[in-house]
Amino acid sequence: MKRPDSSEERDRGVARRPGGPPHLLAASARFLLRSAHSLVALLGIVILAVAISPTASDGSRIFLQAGNLTDILRQISLIGIISLAMTFVILTGGIDLSVGSILALSTTLVAMGLTRAWQGASYTSHILWAILAAVAASTLAGALNGVVIASLRIQPFVVTLASMIGVRGLAKWLSKNENIDIGFGRDVAAEFAAVFREKAIVIGSYACAAVLFWVLLGRTVFGRHVRAIGDNERAAEYAGLPILGTRVWVYSLSGLLSGFAGVLYAAENHQGNPNAGVAYELDAIAAVVIGGTRLAGGKGSISGTIVGTLIMGVLTNMLRLNNVDSNLEMMIKAVIIVLAVAVQRTQEKI
Amino acid sequence: MAQRRSPSRRDGAGGTILPVPNLLQADGVSKHYGGVAALRDARFSIQAGEVHALIGENGAGKSTLAKIMAGAVRADRGTIAVDGRPVTIATPLDAQRLGIGIIYQELDLFPHLTVGENMAIGNLGLRESLLVRFGRLEDFCRPYLEQVGLTCSLRQPAGSLPIGKQQLLAIARALSMNVRILMMDEPTSSLSEDAVDRLFGLIRELKGRGVALVYVSHKMDEIFRICDRATVLRDGKTIRTVETAATTPSEIIRLMVGRDVRMATRTERRATGEVVLSVDRLTTAKLKSVSFELRRGEVLGVAGLVGAGRSELGAALFGLDTIRSGTVCRGGRPIAPRSPSDAMRHGIGLTPEDRRLEGLMMSMSVLENGTMTVLQRMQTWGFLRGRQETRELSAVGRQLALNCPSLGAAVATLSGGNQQKVLLARWLLLDPEVLFLDDPTRGIDIGAKQDIYRIIDDLASAGKGVILVSSELPELLRCCDRIVVLCDGRVTAVYEAKEATQENIMASATNAAPNGGGTR
Repeated sequence: MKRPDSSEERDRGVARRPGGPPHLLAASARFLLRSAHSLVALLGIVILAVAISPTASDGSRIFLQAGNLTDILRQISLIGIISLAMTFVILTGGIDLSVGSILALSTTLVAMGLTRAWQGASYTSHILWAILAAVAASTLAGALNGVVIASLRIQPFVVTLASMIGVRGLAKWLSKNENIDIGFGRDVAAEFAAVFREKAIVIGSYACAAVLFWVLLGRTVFGRHVRAIGDNERAAEYAGLPILGTRVWVYSLSGLLSGFAGVLYAAENHQGNPNAGVAYELDAIAAVVIGGTRLAGGKGSISGTIVGTLIMGVLTNMLRLNNVDSNLEMMIKAVIIVLAVAVQRTQEKI
Repeated sequence: MAQRRSPSRRDGAGGTILPVPNLLQADGVSKHYGGVAALRDARFSIQAGEVHALIGENGAGKSTLAKIMAGAVRADRGTIAVDGRPVTIATPLDAQRLGIGIIYQELDLFPHLTVGENMAIGNLGLRESLLVRFGRLEDFCRPYLEQVGLTCSLRQPAGSLPIGKQQLLAIARALSMNVRILMMDEPTSSLSEDAVDRLFGLIRELKGRGVALVYVSHKMDEIFRICDRATVLRDGKTIRTVETAATTPSEIIRLMVGRDVRMATRTERRATGEVVLSVDRLTTAKLKSVSFELRRGEVLGVAGLVGAGRSELGAALFGLDTIRSGTVCRGGRPIAPRSPSDAMRHGIGLTPEDRRLEGLMMSMSVLENGTMTVLQRMQTWGFLRGRQETRELSAVGRQLALNCPSLGAAVATLSGGNQQKVLLARWLLLDPEVLFLDDPTRGIDIGAKQDIYRIIDDLASAGKGVILVSSELPELLRCCDRIVVLCDGRVTAVYEAKEATQENIMASATNAAPNGGGTR
């Protein structure tokens, strides 16, 4: 049987019930169907993780402890957030290698903003302005990527490779090559870190972003354009779609989410770190690809990316709980990535 | 080579008196692409020292037959014999071993590699070791380059040569492979007048040396200038092989169009409405001073052979090609569309010639493809109104007799006819005043064709201006009120529905002189 195409599943649902709004049950059923193969993989890894999990002193499995499970979610949140926008980028047939550098720029900016004295400002407005400035700068960096890619028609790989180098340089230059520490005292920076390193805030941010981007892809004109351009750019041109604008927006969103992830990173690590986020782009791309999004564009889903991120997160957690050497961990991940894509390929062909 | 006589001196098309063995003989060759038959039991034979034209309308199967003989395409059935012995030509390398070479219309050179590298690649004559020494390459290439009269450095990238010289390079390359049968697919399509003369001189020289040349073309004057015999294909079948000395262009045209079956009657319309589109001396990279008017309620046919500038006309009107000079007026006001969305704002729509490459998003659904151009009116603050999409597309789908399992099915799973209908749905939903349909019935089944004819009639009755490009003349005769014939980017004739016949359209499209002229 042919694997149902993601869009196909959703719209078949719409077509069959021309009357009522799609209710929650149907929506979740379709979510399950769409990411069936990645879900099976996730399930398999979870079962394995439970099976080989070390036990605590009371005999319960450490993997299943609430603390551990939320730790997993917290650990995947940053990559998870970045990979949401990366899904959009890849759906248009592009790639964004600059996300790690943009994250570093954002951590630097938010830390710089918070460690500057600002007479007369309340903690809240100081924090909000610092975050806003960091995220705005990140979005701008992403937009610049998009403008260069769309207007000069240079391959996204080359453009974002350049900005990966350039933005990293900018972050280091701004911070004079030093980490900007956020203290543990009672000043505004410490207050910021205390709030934004809260598990609930981090996981909640990821969840909100996931829902937003899921809706954006599936229910808006913009999402439709993103997929159309990735599927067949020439046909998109013939249909008069705003190709240039869509591309700029997609890379801007990637910058925005990377910037936001940078804010969370700064809080979690109590510092603005211009060397943060190295190789994050690769983890994000891996999550998207494991989630079944076609690297050539046009086909893929946010739900798939979320499952892909979870697979990587659970895998890491499982291996670390069992004290597997981190170098071995990388090798195992490599195999998982190829396996996941190979399975999808065979399912596509049948 | 054994047979050195010119076959044109023997009499009779069918009855060869002297039993000269054929250098190559193909029998019962059939080829299907999907459900569409490109060749059905085609026959073809050629003798040494002969220039033999393969001629037919677009889609008659001439290129497919040539590609089969060159090993680029495998036939489903049929036999090919070289020197009287049956052979299997499964790959281009097999063909090379047999001395069969082909020069494609789009020249299969590697533009970024040098002239020398192009000569060496895949060349069995030069295969000595993994490394090709440049000195030896020079020795190897020179004689062939001199033979075709090409003077250039071996180290020059092939893509930097003008197109005429690239063609000579392709011929030199074929010669260096010890070719005995050389096939040329539309060799003059992008050549200037004097380059054509030089090419013909070379062809005569090769012919004198006993090489058999297959000349695939639909340019009547060239065929009468250079070819000894011509084999006419129609609908994938070999109709007849004639001696060019014993026939006329109009006779060949009659053989090409052949079918006398009149298609279903067309609805009599009299387009008296105002002019919705007028084009005056429109010139682009491909078009030369094209002028015509389109009235409300009129279906204007555009006839012409592949490469005559039919699709380029659409590209110019739809903002895809730059207009160099001339004007386009929509409803009396001059417009200069810069992009498809710009053209759409001016009320011009276009369904492209290649629906897979230019039209549809193949992995997206029928619904998503169908509403692609009208999303702006189906959204609130950027959010799609799914129910409205479904409702409007279902309505248009019924109008089009669109047959699909569900609106959510991927368009890739539909038949060609239904895919075309999905594309048409886009424009029915947008409802532009002028619709340019570029070969909408290419490769689709009879039933879907009839549906599309009906829709064209409906559009005209609703007062739209329709421009219909087609390779099938009966289709143009069935649908159109007037027919503009293009040849080489120029309008060579405009026929009213009453006076148009397949024969006079084809004569204008091939630029054949009315009384069968053509110099030899």
